[in-house]
Amino acid sequence: MSTGPAPEHEAIAAISTRGVTRDFKAGQQTITVLHGIDLDIRAGELTYLVGESGSGKTTLISIMCGILWPTQGEVKVFGTDIYSLTDTNLVEFRLQNIGFIFQQYNLIPSIDAASNAAVPLIAQGMDRLEARERAVAMMEKLNIGDQVDKLPNQLSGGQQQRVAISRALVHEPRLVVCDEPTAALDAGSGRRVMDLLRDVAVAEDRACIIVTHDNRVFDLADRILVLEDGKITHDGTDMPEDH
Amino acid sequence: MGLLPQDFSFARKGLPIVAVVGLIVAALFIWFGLPERELEEPEREPPRATGELANVPRVAGAGVVEPSSETISIGTALAGLVTDLKVQPGDYVTKGQPLFAVDTRAIRSRIAETGAGVGEARAAISEAQAAIAEARAAEATAARQLALYRNVEDPAAVSQAEVIRAEGEASAARERRQTAESRLAAAHARLDSAQAQVASARTELGRATVRAPIAGEILAVNIRPGEYLSTTGGGGNSQSFIEMGETRPLHIRVDIDEEQAPRVALGEPATVSPRGAADRQVKARFVRAEPQVVPKRSLTNSAAERVDVRVLQIIYELPDSDGLFRVGQQVDAFIPARRGRSTEPSQPAQLSE
Amino acid sequence: MLWIAIRMLTGDAQKFYGLVFGIAFSTLLITQQLTIFVNLIERGASAVYNVPSADVWVMDPVSRTTDVNFPMPATALDKVRSVPGVEWAVPHLRAGASVRTGDGDLEGVSVIGVDDATLIGMPRRMAAGSTDVLSRPDSVIIDDVGTTRMFEGGQDPIGQRLELNDQRAVIRGVADAIPSFTSQVTLYTKYSNALNYVPGTRNRMSFVLVGSADGIAPEVLTQRIEEETGLRARTRDQFARDGVDFIIQNTGIPLNFGITVLLGFIVGVAIVGLTFSLFIRDNIKQFGALKAIGVTNSKIRGMVAAQAGLVGLIGYGLGVLGTVGFIWGFSSNPTFKGFYIPWQVPLISLGAVTVILALTGWLALRNVLKTEPAAVFR
Repeated sequence: MSTGPAPEHEAIAAISTRGVTRDFKAGQQTITVLHGIDLDIRAGELTYLVGESGSGKTTLISIMCGILWPTQGEVKVFGTDIYSLTDTNLVEFRLQNIGFIFQQYNLIPSIDAASNAAVPLIAQGMDRLEARERAVAMMEKLNIGDQVDKLPNQLSGGQQQRVAISRALVHEPRLVVCDEPTAALDAGSGRRVMDLLRDVAVAEDRACIIVTHDNRVFDLADRILVLEDGKITHDGTDMPEDH
Repeated sequence: MGLLPQDFSFARKGLPIVAVVGLIVAALFIWFGLPERELEEPEREPPRATGELANVPRVAGAGVVEPSSETISIGTALAGLVTDLKVQPGDYVTKGQPLFAVDTRAIRSRIAETGAGVGEARAAISEAQAAIAEARAAEATAARQLALYRNVEDPAAVSQAEVIRAEGEASAARERRQTAESRLAAAHARLDSAQAQVASARTELGRATVRAPIAGEILAVNIRPGEYLSTTGGGGNSQSFIEMGETRPLHIRVDIDEEQAPRVALGEPATVSPRGAADRQVKARFVRAEPQVVPKRSLTNSAAERVDVRVLQIIYELPDSDGLFRVGQQVDAFIPARRGRSTEPSQPAQLSE
Repeated sequence: MLWIAIRMLTGDAQKFYGLVFGIAFSTLLITQQLTIFVNLIERGASAVYNVPSADVWVMDPVSRTTDVNFPMPATALDKVRSVPGVEWAVPHLRAGASVRTGDGDLEGVSVIGVDDATLIGMPRRMAAGSTDVLSRPDSVIIDDVGTTRMFEGGQDPIGQRLELNDQRAVIRGVADAIPSFTSQVTLYTKYSNALNYVPGTRNRMSFVLVGSADGIAPEVLTQRIEEETGLRARTRDQFARDGVDFIIQNTGIPLNFGITVLLGFIVGVAIVGLTFSLFIRDNIKQFGALKAIGVTNSKIRGMVAAQAGLVGLIGYGLGVLGTVGFIWGFSSNPTFKGFYIPWQVPLISLGAVTVILALTGWLALRNVLKTEPAAVFR
């Protein structure tokens, strides 16, 4: 795994944030959650974003994947200044370029696993059955090819997560964002998920950011960013000792 | 659910199909359930103003058909039983044709009786004439004997007494003749009287036969042989014995509401149709308008009609229409209105044509 | 996406059927009540619509409806006939009378005298017998609903003798007519007979029925008749409307039915609104996820609209079907004779359903649209 700086030929970073600040209004007070984050995420790396609750990591990841407007600063994803896009174009940009894996999976309970996995393709306008076929192929890659017809509530937690991963990858996005993938899993399962994500999500031109504070899997990261009180306090391949 | 395809979902497919089918059923039900309210032409033709009268000012009225002579109620001069009825309704009679006769037996016996009186008078006349002749003969004999006696010079030859007797005989014969002559005169007088009685009885006989006063059609016969007729009228009911009238041509008497009356164009022909055959219209020629405005009596509805409207009656002559119109029939008439002037006193009518 | 939306909707059977029930119930209540309301007040116009051939009704200036009338003198007929544009005019008598049936019962009836010659004024159709029987003496024709009222035992009305104003009347036919508002027994007879059956007053003729000449609009003709005769003339539709208005003004029916319809609407809004809101709230996370993944708000709107549309289609369809079933099921009942569903009524309930769904869908959608996609990370 390459841990050094980005190769010269890769002129643009997968994500590049400059001076990203985010304020929240809480009654009369204004709470600043992010203080001028400057960050470059490179493609081909599995990047962890680590921080305590309230450190601002959820805010940062939301801003980086284009679902939360920063108060200040700019975010470029593969060179596109996403917050200068119109709302509609931003939504379209997310649909084409970003895959999401939510902590609670957020699968639609009334459609089967393969259809759930096919949602991004369907949202892109692909024919439903064709999209479902592609989702089935993706699910076979993830070794749940035998579960395609089941409803989410007929699946185990691990299987549901694989469905969610299928959904995040089915439209081959350039950025995969993963929120606490191991939180509900035991150590062994958590490692297997992380291995899986390394295998399927990380690719030459694809960045993968995982928000986590599960120290059991820190060793699988290519890069770990630690966020404390709205600032990046650590950026390296390993966790600092004090964590 | 074996009949249904594998992934058939009641909620997603069944219910929408049910709903759509239901809506179609409902639409059909509503469409075919809509009430029939379109207007239609009446089945039987109502009276209507047609032709040039359809959209011009006009006056409508109801009328009845009557004979052109108006209806004549035949009466009788003599009371008595009807013995002979010579006509029936529908007959067309000429003037003077006998219609019926009342019982003539009494009159005929009177004729016979008075005829006998004439014979008796005639017999008396002959008897008187015979008596006169006989008296004349006796008188002549007595006169010759008296003259003989007077011419005898010899008084002894004829006694005085003989002469006196002969004189007496002669005067007696003369008196007898005179008596017979006066009896003759009396018998003549009796004959005249008897003859006058016969003539009178014969006249009576003529009166017992009622004859048509004009040529016309018998419209109604309300008597039958054997019924008693009184000269004062129809024997308790007000029916006339025989009704007749001239039905060639027929007239109609049209009632026009007095408010409408001034609008009528008098002299114009009217369009007339009988009740119940409104499609068979004829043109009727104006005859006259009655000079008097009378309370409405005709006849559109009940017998006990009580209305306070008055009507102008206008008479029109119907053309020959082959039994379409009959006396007493009700008709609907449309008459052109006078043009150019509104005549409604209270309601200024606006005739927009 | 719409496929997903529909799946989401029907996936939650409880709420789906709750929504369908709410809409169906509202539709049924609104449609059925409006239908009965319209039919009930149109009973005020049934007497007008029962006469199929009259364009214009002429009456005394104080007459208001077919039942509230003041008779005119007989010459009014000729006056009306004199008006240009009147194709034909016939007398028409409507009056109340008491009838003694063969059993000795007393029954209030309306006697309708139709023109002797043309029988204009009779209903369009006969249920039994023919209108020709009126030419026989003392004949009357009874209406079919009146038959069920007067002969409750179900005996055949034909040939029954009645006593009307001391006169004999024999029923010789049954007319197929829409009953009046009060469902009073109606006896049709010739005008001249009717004069004998109805106790006499000076003027007898209630109406003059008029047919307008070709090319003359009835409205124009009414004006002309009013100007020329001083009588009141109404076109058929105006006079029907008068009858309806009379019932509206003199009964509490519109208020009562209005309240029921409003209740139907409110119940619909309440059930559907609550259920829809619950449904959306249950699925808010899925919607949030979809928004994050990249589904635009307009597509979300489309999804909610599709859900509302399906619920609306099914609920409305079932509700209308229910109304049709109701009307159809009761069509043989004399009380509901001639009831029909005016085509406007389903459209009104469709509008109401649309408003209900739009309102509740909008309220529910507001939550979805307000949801920050970022919420999925919390």
